[in-house]
Amino acid sequence: MKVTLAMKPGPRSFIPIEAESIVPKNFLAGTDLAVWRGNRELRLDEVFSVSVEGDADRPEDVEVVLSGDDTFRLKRVGEYMDGGKITVLGDIGMHCGNFMSGGTIEIHGNADGWLGREMTGGTILCRGDVADYCASGYRGGRKGMKGGSVEVFGRAGDFLAESIAGGTVTVHGDAGDMAGAEMHGGTLIVHGDCRRPAANMKTGSCYVYGTAQGMLPTFAKNGTVQHEGRTLIHFTGDIANRGKGNLFVKGYKYLD
Amino acid sequence: MNELLIKNACVIDPLRGINAETMDIAIRDGRIVEEVSGAAEVIDAHGALTLPGGIDSHTHICGTKVNFGRYMSPEDMRAGRTPRRGPLHATSGYSVPTTYGNSYRYSVMGYTTLLEGAMAPLEARHTHEEFTYTPLQDTMANVLFDGNWGVMEAIRDGDIKRVAAIIAWTLRAVKGFGVKLTNPGGTEAWQWGKNVSCIRDPVPYFEVTPAEIIRSVVEANELLHLPHSVHLHCNNLGTPGNYTCTLGSLGLIPDLNRKRQTLYATHVQFHAYGGSGWRDFCSKSEPIARFVNMRPQIVMDMGQVMFGKTTTMTADGPMEFNLYRLHHDKWSNHDVELETGSGIIPVIYRRKNLVNSIMWAIGLELALLTKSPWQCLLTTDNPNGAPFVRYPEIIALLMSKRYRDAEFATVHPDTAARVPLPAIERELDWYEIAVMTRAGQAKALGIQDLGKGHLGPGAEADIAIYPLRIDEVDPSTDYRKVIEAFGRTEYTIKRGRVVARRGECLVDGSNATFWVRPKVSDAYDMGKDPDFIEKFDRYYTVRMRNYPVQEEYLNRNRCIETEAAI
Repeated sequence: MKVTLAMKPGPRSFIPIEAESIVPKNFLAGTDLAVWRGNRELRLDEVFSVSVEGDADRPEDVEVVLSGDDTFRLKRVGEYMDGGKITVLGDIGMHCGNFMSGGTIEIHGNADGWLGREMTGGTILCRGDVADYCASGYRGGRKGMKGGSVEVFGRAGDFLAESIAGGTVTVHGDAGDMAGAEMHGGTLIVHGDCRRPAANMKTGSCYVYGTAQGMLPTFAKNGTVQHEGRTLIHFTGDIANRGKGNLFVKGYKYLD
Repeated sequence: MNELLIKNACVIDPLRGINAETMDIAIRDGRIVEEVSGAAEVIDAHGALTLPGGIDSHTHICGTKVNFGRYMSPEDMRAGRTPRRGPLHATSGYSVPTTYGNSYRYSVMGYTTLLEGAMAPLEARHTHEEFTYTPLQDTMANVLFDGNWGVMEAIRDGDIKRVAAIIAWTLRAVKGFGVKLTNPGGTEAWQWGKNVSCIRDPVPYFEVTPAEIIRSVVEANELLHLPHSVHLHCNNLGTPGNYTCTLGSLGLIPDLNRKRQTLYATHVQFHAYGGSGWRDFCSKSEPIARFVNMRPQIVMDMGQVMFGKTTTMTADGPMEFNLYRLHHDKWSNHDVELETGSGIIPVIYRRKNLVNSIMWAIGLELALLTKSPWQCLLTTDNPNGAPFVRYPEIIALLMSKRYRDAEFATVHPDTAARVPLPAIERELDWYEIAVMTRAGQAKALGIQDLGKGHLGPGAEADIAIYPLRIDEVDPSTDYRKVIEAFGRTEYTIKRGRVVARRGECLVDGSNATFWVRPKVSDAYDMGKDPDFIEKFDRYYTVRMRNYPVQEEYLNRNRCIETEAAI
């Protein structure tokens, strides 16, 4: 089953739309769903032109396609998703794929903050850039992403994979400050540069194929290793947190 | 004139010696009276258990450190959210809820009076502001004097009257109710990066010992004729083998007051540990309870631990640092100049953990081994042992051996060898529970004469009607019904008005804050004492005239004037 949700051009407004109902399994029972704009509850067809092709009886067979110029206003798309596919032909707002446990989300544009926060399984692909706190935990939480994978082809903002406890995050561009902070499990791979990677890490692996700027002094250097055709410098730490994590960097620069 | 008549109430009112008598209660304008006119509104209790409104004599619900617990735990704020409806505000939080959250949840359980266990004098305004937004309970606050420089200097000079004078001035300035000592001397030592190991260790610079602080402040408290006794959180909280220190502290206390205890020892569960380290950690509830049984001048509260998530917060800064080193999670530390300090960390008490299991058992043992329920009151030191919403479970554990055994089967298997709990057969009855949750508190806080904790004519009409008939429910087997009933009143009545009904709060409420103003002679008025004024202006970062809490910070309030002997 393919559900196409083409966002209607609305009045120029930046009020976000809380769209946690846009999850593949919800469309098995039809398209009679609601979203919230500010304090107003709206029917799905007030915001989108909805069209459905074919039918399905399990979430795995449902694909939801979101299109339109304003998709960046949609928040919490795919929250608690457990199967199926969501394709976003544009940008997506905050909290996309919160707590997801299965299925695939593909974003052709950029994603706002908290993409895939506290997810436990499934796959997220983002063809553009992601903002801060991608695949991280939430305020005060101890565990971020616990499983699944997130792949970002553009750049990532600050606090990428903060508190990650499992799963894999790959960023093909650069990442911002504090990538992999409070990491205690899982794998983070940054193909470009980043700042202060893996601060306070406990366990897990963090790879930086570019340069780690502002490298923290609380990691012990353990020589070099060969990894997928690259020569990387191996650190363990974060000693400040009695950590035994592995941090591999191509190059690094301590703070002056 | 506002009249209310409660018919067919099965009343337990320990302060008047009433045990399960079916009677009517007449209320006029917020007070209990002999009779009301025929025009009164009538509530038929149908024989349900009716008690005076609950009183919590040691809880942390308002003030700077509670608020710090809130903002360092956004994850806790995401739990327990309720939306705004009718006169009710939205609430959130589980172990450190918003003030409205505390107030509504206490009210649903039938509580109408709360004592904030520790208020730093310098930060009293914050506590009073939060009291204003705790609308369904009357409130009062214990004021911290454990590391007060003026008090310690006066103790060093052996001048008890000056100690009393400083306490009197401070209580009046900050609109406090009682005198609290938290790890006396230890928090001052913590400002030097140290702690005191027990009551004979001198505090750096001041060279006074915790024993001297406790003795002097107890004597000063009686000189001022305060309604409540000194409220003591002993030294060495939470360390294995600390029961000897606790016994030493309790042994310092003479019997000085005929009406009430001379010392209120709080959350004694945390101070009743044996062993020389965490490996041989065990319960020493028996010697503590035996000691208290022989000394009517001491009242304690349980400080029961219940399994689950919570937040610990106390003015005992060094202890929280030690806990932080054990848990290695978040930690907040706070220094209050010239007075005290505080620390906060979140914890999870687990059944699988031997130490936590023993702690759980010790609280229950203290309550069961203390012969008189007037001497061991029910608390969790909310939220340190558990959030107060767990009180109904504790009541059921105390009333049912079978429930205790069922719970005991789920804790760490080695617990049985370290605690006496499995051998204790005692099951508390309804009367004893009523003492431990309201009458005992009213007596210990010295507020029964103000119309708290009983249902006699003239008392404040604070009443809790629980959906339970004590002739039909056997608490030792139907403990689930006990938990349910104590968790949700049929009616909670505050000052003659129904404020909660079957788990729903009905009104916005308006509370009153109780505070104490001891009347001292001019010679002992610290506001005119040149030495006190000079020290104040030299060391505090605030001017003395800006220090007192203005009346505007108090909502409704009731000032208790005492005639001090100085």
